[in-house]
Amino acid sequence: MAEAAASRRGRRLAGLDRAAPVWLLAAAALVLLILLPLGWLAYISVSGPQGFTLAHYVRVLADPPLQRALWNTVVLAFWSGAVALAIGAPMAWLSARTDLPGRRVIPSLILASFVTPPFLGAFAWVMLAGPNAGSLNQLYRTLTGADTPLLNIFSMPGLVFVVGIYSFPYVYVMITNTLGLIASDLEDAAAILGAGRLEVARTITLPMVLPAILSGFILAVLQALALFGSPAILALPAGFHTVTTQMWSFFQYPPRPELAAAFSMPLLLATALLLLVQKKLLGRRGYAAVGGKGGQRRPVRLGAWRYPALAGCLAVLACAVFLPYGILLKAAFARAWAQPLTRENFTLENWSFTFLHGATQSAILNTLELGVLTACVGAGLATLLAYVTNRRLVVGHQVLGFLALSPVVIPGVVLAVALFVAYTRPPFLLYGTLWILFLAYLTKEMPVGYSQADATLRGIHPELEEAGRILGAGRLRVLREITAPLAKSGIIATWCFVFIGVIRELSASIILFTPNTKVMSVVMFDLKEEGQFGAIAVLGVFMLVMTFATVALMQALLGRDVLGARPSGGPG
Amino acid sequence: MPGIVITGLTKRFGDVPAVDGLDLTVRPGELVALLGPSGCGKTTTLRLVAGFMAPDAGEIHVGDRVLSSPGSVVPPERRRMAMIFQSYALWPHMTVAQNVAYGLRFAGIPRAERTERVIEILRAVQLAGYGARYPGELSGGQQQRVAVARALVVEPEILLLDEPLSNLDASLREEMRFEIRRLHERFAITTLYVTHDQAEAMVISDRVAVLQRGRVAQIGAPSELFEHPRTRFVAEFIGKTNLIDAVADGPGRVTRGRLRLRVAADGLGAGAPAVISIRPHQIALSPRAAAPAPPAGANALAGTVIRASYLGDSVDYQVGLDDSDVVLRVTGPTPPRARTGEPVALTVPAEACVLLPAED
Repeated sequence: MAEAAASRRGRRLAGLDRAAPVWLLAAAALVLLILLPLGWLAYISVSGPQGFTLAHYVRVLADPPLQRALWNTVVLAFWSGAVALAIGAPMAWLSARTDLPGRRVIPSLILASFVTPPFLGAFAWVMLAGPNAGSLNQLYRTLTGADTPLLNIFSMPGLVFVVGIYSFPYVYVMITNTLGLIASDLEDAAAILGAGRLEVARTITLPMVLPAILSGFILAVLQALALFGSPAILALPAGFHTVTTQMWSFFQYPPRPELAAAFSMPLLLATALLLLVQKKLLGRRGYAAVGGKGGQRRPVRLGAWRYPALAGCLAVLACAVFLPYGILLKAAFARAWAQPLTRENFTLENWSFTFLHGATQSAILNTLELGVLTACVGAGLATLLAYVTNRRLVVGHQVLGFLALSPVVIPGVVLAVALFVAYTRPPFLLYGTLWILFLAYLTKEMPVGYSQADATLRGIHPELEEAGRILGAGRLRVLREITAPLAKSGIIATWCFVFIGVIRELSASIILFTPNTKVMSVVMFDLKEEGQFGAIAVLGVFMLVMTFATVALMQALLGRDVLGARPSGGPG
Repeated sequence: MPGIVITGLTKRFGDVPAVDGLDLTVRPGELVALLGPSGCGKTTTLRLVAGFMAPDAGEIHVGDRVLSSPGSVVPPERRRMAMIFQSYALWPHMTVAQNVAYGLRFAGIPRAERTERVIEILRAVQLAGYGARYPGELSGGQQQRVAVARALVVEPEILLLDEPLSNLDASLREEMRFEIRRLHERFAITTLYVTHDQAEAMVISDRVAVLQRGRVAQIGAPSELFEHPRTRFVAEFIGKTNLIDAVADGPGRVTRGRLRLRVAADGLGAGAPAVISIRPHQIALSPRAAAPAPPAGANALAGTVIRASYLGDSVDYQVGLDDSDVVLRVTGPTPPRARTGEPVALTVPAEACVLLPAED
C-alpha cells in the first residue's frame, strides 16, 4: 500500500516540468521589477504623516505654477505632434509612393534622426540657434547687418520645433509600413470604376492610411509628453517648466518625492489613455493589410515637383541631422565652438579632457558597464519571458506579457520617481548605487526587448521544439540546443535595442544618479551648466558612433531594415 | 511491442471540450488512423498521447505504464515515442544527419553505432548520401523522408503522425502513402496516424477510428467502415453515399411517402424513424425501355435522369425518383447509358441499403 503510494508520488514528481523554477523565477523577477516601484509610487502619493491623504494631489493640482507646467506640457505635446505629422506624413508618402530622387537614401537618414538622442539634438540646436552665439543667428547678422537674432531656440516654438524634428520618424514609420501593404491594384480597382486620381486618394488611399496617421501622431505626442532632456535644455533657460522638468525640480534639495508622485499621476494616466486609443486604432488596421501578395506598386510621377519635394525633404533632414551633426563635430574639435574652425581654433583637447578627466571618464565607464549589463540581462529576461508567454508555460502567462509591455506607459521621470521611492527604503536599499540605474533601465527597456523577443519566438514553430522533446530531450536541453540557436540573431538584435536605449537614457538617470554614479547623459547635462560645449560635443559624437555601430550590427544580423523591425515603441 | 489503451480521455479548452470521453485501443504493432473533419479532436488526442498536454480526465496507458492521467503526465521525452509533424519540424540549423542522429543521443547508443544507424535509415528512406545537406536544401518530399527517418531511427515503442502528407502535392502524397505503409510493414511499430483525408486513412491503416466531436464514432477496418457504417456521420464521411430519411414498416422494409425499400437489417419496430444509406456505385442503372428484370429480392425503382456528368472513368448521374422527392446519386460505368431527361430503371440489392440509427 505504502509502496504503491510512493511509486505514485515518484511518478508525479517525474511528471513535473523540471524547468518550472526557471519560468517561475523569470515571472517573479518581472512582477517585482514592475509592481514594486509602481506600488510604492501610488502608496506614497496618498500617504501623509496621519495616514491616508489626498493633500499631495490637492497641492500639486491647485498650485498655479504647477498648473502652468501641466498646460505647457499639453501645448508642447500637441504642437510637436502636429509638427511631426506635418513632416512625417508627406515624407512617408514621397519616399514610399513617388519617384522622388534619392528615395532609397532617405530612409537611412531618417533612421539617423530616429536614433539621435533628442537631448543631443537640443544641445546642438542651442549652438545653432541660441540667441547670442548661435551659428545661424551669427550668419544672419553677418548677412543682414541686423543686431537682433533671427531665431531664439529658448522658447516654446523653439522647443516644439526641436522635439518635432526628432519625433517625426514615428509618424513616418507608421505610415510607410501601412502604405507598403496597400497594393496599387486596390487603387486601380477604384480607378477602373471611374474614380479620378484625387478621388482615389480621397476615397481609397487616405481612409486606409488614416489609422496609421493618427497612431503615428499619438506616438509622437507620447514621445513629447515623456521627454525630459529637451525641455530641460530649452524651456528652463526660457523660464518655463513642463511636467517632467517640474518633477525633476521636486528632487532638487530638499527632495519632495510625495509631490512628484502625485504630480506623475496625470502624466501616467494621459500616457495610458493615449496608448489605449492608439492600440484601438491599430487593432482595426487589419483591413489595410488586404492584398497580402502586395501586388505591383507603381510610383506616382512627381514631374516638375520632383526637385522642390526633394529640397523639402533635405531641409527637414538638414534640421534633424546635417546641421546638428555638423555643429557637434565642429564643437568637438574647436577651442571656441562659436568661432570658425581655423588652424588656431582646432584642438584635440576636448577629446583628451573627456576621455582622461576623472568625472567624464568614469561616467563613460558607468554607461558602458550599465549598457552591457542591462542589455545582457534584459535580452535574457525578455527572451525567457517571451518564451514563457509564447509557449504558455505558466498559468497567467497573458498577464506576464501585459506586465512586460506595461512600462511603455511609464515616462522615464515617473519611473525614476517610483524607483527612488521603492529603493531608498528596506528591504531594498539601492539608491546611490549603479544597481538602481540598472533596474531603471531594465524596466524601461523591457517593452522594446520583450516585443522584439516575442517577434523572434513567434517565428520559431513550436513543433521544432516538440520534435526534440518526443525524441528524448528535456525542456531546457531543447531550449539550449534547438530554440537558442534558431533565435540567436533575434536575441542579439534584442540586445542591441536595449543597449542603444540605455546609453542614451537621460530622463530616469537625472533623478537617480548620485555623484559616484553619473552616466554620460547626466555628465553632459552637468557640462552644460559649466558651458563646456566642447566636451558635450565629444560625448555626443562618441554616443552617436556607438549607436550607429550597434545599428549596423543589428541590420547585418536581421538582414532587414531596423526601422521596419521597431515595435510600436513608447515614450522615452 | 506495447499497444495503447486510452480510456475516457477528456480535454477542454475553456468550456469547449476538444476531446470528450474518448476510448480507443491500439493493438501492439497496429496502425490506427484517427480520421475526422477539422475540430473533431484528432490532433488534440495525438498531442495528449505524445504528452504535450495534460488531460482533464481519463488515462493513457502504453503497455503496463500509465503515461497520462489528470495531474500526472510523463513528459514527452520519457515516453519512448517518436512523432512526425505536419510541418516536418526539421531543425534548419542542423544537417540531415544531425537531425536524424539527434534522438539516438538519448537512447544511450555509442557514437560509432549512431553514425551507422543514421546511414542505414537514410538508405531505408532512399536518402543515402544526403546526410551532409541542410533541410533547406531539400525538396518537400525529401524533407518528409528525413522526418520519417528521424522518427524511425530511434526504434520507438510508439510512432505518432500528425497529418504528415498534407503539405505534399497530390502525386507525391499518393506515393508517400504506400511508402509509409511499406515502412510500417517492415518495422511494425504501434502507430497512431492523424488525417482528415479518408482515402489516405484507408490506404495506410489497419483500422480507422472516425472521430466526431471528441469521441470515436466508429472504429474498424476500412472495408467494415465503408460497408457497415454505424452512424450517419460515418456513412457520409467515408466515401459518397445517398441518405434517405424513412420510417420502418415491418421487418426488412422502410417507407418514405410512396417509396418502399427492402433493407438489409431488421429489428426495427414499425413506425420507428430510420436512415438508409445507399452507396452510389451499388445502384445499377439502365434505360427504362431496355431494363432487364430485377433479381428476386432487389429493389426496383423508376426515375428520370436530372443530370449526367461524364468523369472519364465513370459517369455520375443524379436521378429523381418518380412519385418521390428523393434524388439519388448513381455511379455507373462508361460509356453513359442514359442522357439527361431520359427515364431510367434503377436496381438496388436489399443488402446495399444499410440501416442507420435515425439520430446520432
